[in-house]
Amino acid sequence: MTHTSNFAAKIRDIYSIESISSGNSVLHRLHPGAKITATAFFLAVVVSFGRYDFSRPVPLLSYPVLAAALGGVPYALLLRRFSLALPFCLLAGTANLYFDRAAAFTLGGVAVSFGILSLFSILLRAFLCVMAVLILAAATPFTHLTAQLERMRVPSVLITLFEVTYRYLGTLIDEASSMYTAYSLRCGGESRVKMRDMGSFAGQLLLRSFDRAERVYAAMKCRGYRSCRVRQERVPFAAADYAYMFLVCGSALLFRLTDVTSAVGRLAARLP
Amino acid sequence: MHMADALLSPSVGTTMWAVAAGAAAYAAKRTAGDELCERKIPLMGVLGSFVFAAQMINFTIPMTGSSGHIGGGILLAALLGACPSFLTVVVILAIQCLFFADGGLLALGGNIVNLGLVPCLVVYPLVYRPIAERIPSPRRITAASILGVVVSLQLGAFLVVLETLLSGVAELPFSAFLMLMQPIHLAIGVVEGIVTASILCFVYASRPEIIEGAASQNRPVSRAALPAFAAAALLVGGALSSFASGLPDGLEWAVGKIAGSPELEAAGVAYEQAAEIQGTTAIMPGYAFASEGAEGAENSPSGTPVAGVTGGVITFLTIAALGGVISRFRARRAHSG
Repeated sequence: MTHTSNFAAKIRDIYSIESISSGNSVLHRLHPGAKITATAFFLAVVVSFGRYDFSRPVPLLSYPVLAAALGGVPYALLLRRFSLALPFCLLAGTANLYFDRAAAFTLGGVAVSFGILSLFSILLRAFLCVMAVLILAAATPFTHLTAQLERMRVPSVLITLFEVTYRYLGTLIDEASSMYTAYSLRCGGESRVKMRDMGSFAGQLLLRSFDRAERVYAAMKCRGYRSCRVRQERVPFAAADYAYMFLVCGSALLFRLTDVTSAVGRLAARLP
Repeated sequence: MHMADALLSPSVGTTMWAVAAGAAAYAAKRTAGDELCERKIPLMGVLGSFVFAAQMINFTIPMTGSSGHIGGGILLAALLGACPSFLTVVVILAIQCLFFADGGLLALGGNIVNLGLVPCLVVYPLVYRPIAERIPSPRRITAASILGVVVSLQLGAFLVVLETLLSGVAELPFSAFLMLMQPIHLAIGVVEGIVTASILCFVYASRPEIIEGAASQNRPVSRAALPAFAAAALLVGGALSSFASGLPDGLEWAVGKIAGSPELEAAGVAYEQAAEIQGTTAIMPGYAFASEGAEGAENSPSGTPVAGVTGGVITFLTIAALGGVISRFRARRAHSG
């Protein structure tokens, strides 16, 4: 992948989640508080599994799969993002393969080591965690998310900062991208910036950012900006919000407390 | 260096969240108390986006053929000051976590401590500021940036090792993991430090008032707060985490008690710490399975292995089919509507 298309891909990444989050599905219409609580509870359940639990967390896949289907979040997008989170988990999991070589059990005559179990378990749990967070981001419009953070008493400085940073991501990546194209054309198609040029390259971008910040501030001031924010009104939970929270948290707890996977396996073994 | 959720235990994750939230509340209060706060917030936001964009610019590292990108903690601190830069890093990490799957939500607290609290609230006031800020000069800025970035990355990498090991998910031995992480981050730190220095020197040469303005405006982290952060780091690094790392076992014990799962009775490892906490002599689940070797087969953490594997495959296929049906139904409805 060339560097310019790398910039373009990042911008597309930002707007793909944003365009999905402005949808109007059942999941989108739920209270952001219910979605945040359900996600946090789900994450806590996922990471509470033992390090060798490779099959018990499988039923938890139902949450991301069903939620993505209900919210109209494309699986391809979720999987692409998961590949970003993979390297560090793979590193730790592969190390377990090396350091944890005792046999756990034999399966059809092949010994399965504890390392394999823990690698599989880490990957499964990493997948569940990444999916849960991405679905939260993709099914909750950004403004609803920040409004909920405000209701949760997150300092207003942090929320305004969150909004401004998010808003200008695309603009600055775009700017970096055009600077990069210009640099690349002047250097006969160099694919990367030379380290000795980095000071002036990133420095230029930084100076432009400073000037842009001045203009942004002036524009905000013209529109009546003051550092204190308008307090968000409390929005009560509807029955559907309670039902969603109860369903996600309840089923996560059920799958944590009972070994559904083995029960299914045993049931299948008894069938002819 | 972003940590993932799957490698953290709930107790280490929540401990780090508590530290990060405390530090963010402190930084937000100090920033909001600044009379220039109103003007500074758009600048912080735009610089946050700048760091995002700048991290995407890959540069060639001479003589190695590999490429690197800048980190941003020390750079932001040098331009904005300790507390505002910390808040900016918090926001960058939150956006990376939510929208780019880069570092988990549970691990966000740990990432904020490793990549934000360390460079902005500890290294910047203790290393960068004393060297560079009183009388800024290109030489001082260079020395301070390189040293600042190297120290931040070393401390950050050390915390990653500590948090991973205390979580007990990865099997890496402490010394091996440390020997892997520290030298790599030393090399990265030197390169990143040089680039940070050259960016700051460029800004100083073309618009000295930005660097000088930052030096005169920055209200340093209050003297009372520095020992508090150091104490918090020690507390997390030592006492609290070792105490907390007993808790996941406690959690599993509690869950096992409720579920009455046979695997737990089978593995009899008394865990004194948890026992003290829970005021009972707990029978802990088998983190000692590996040493038991093949005999551990019956104690397999997922019940009988064959049932686990078969059940896993069937459950997965059922869920996938259900997801497919709902997606198709939705698509058809959207099409007809």
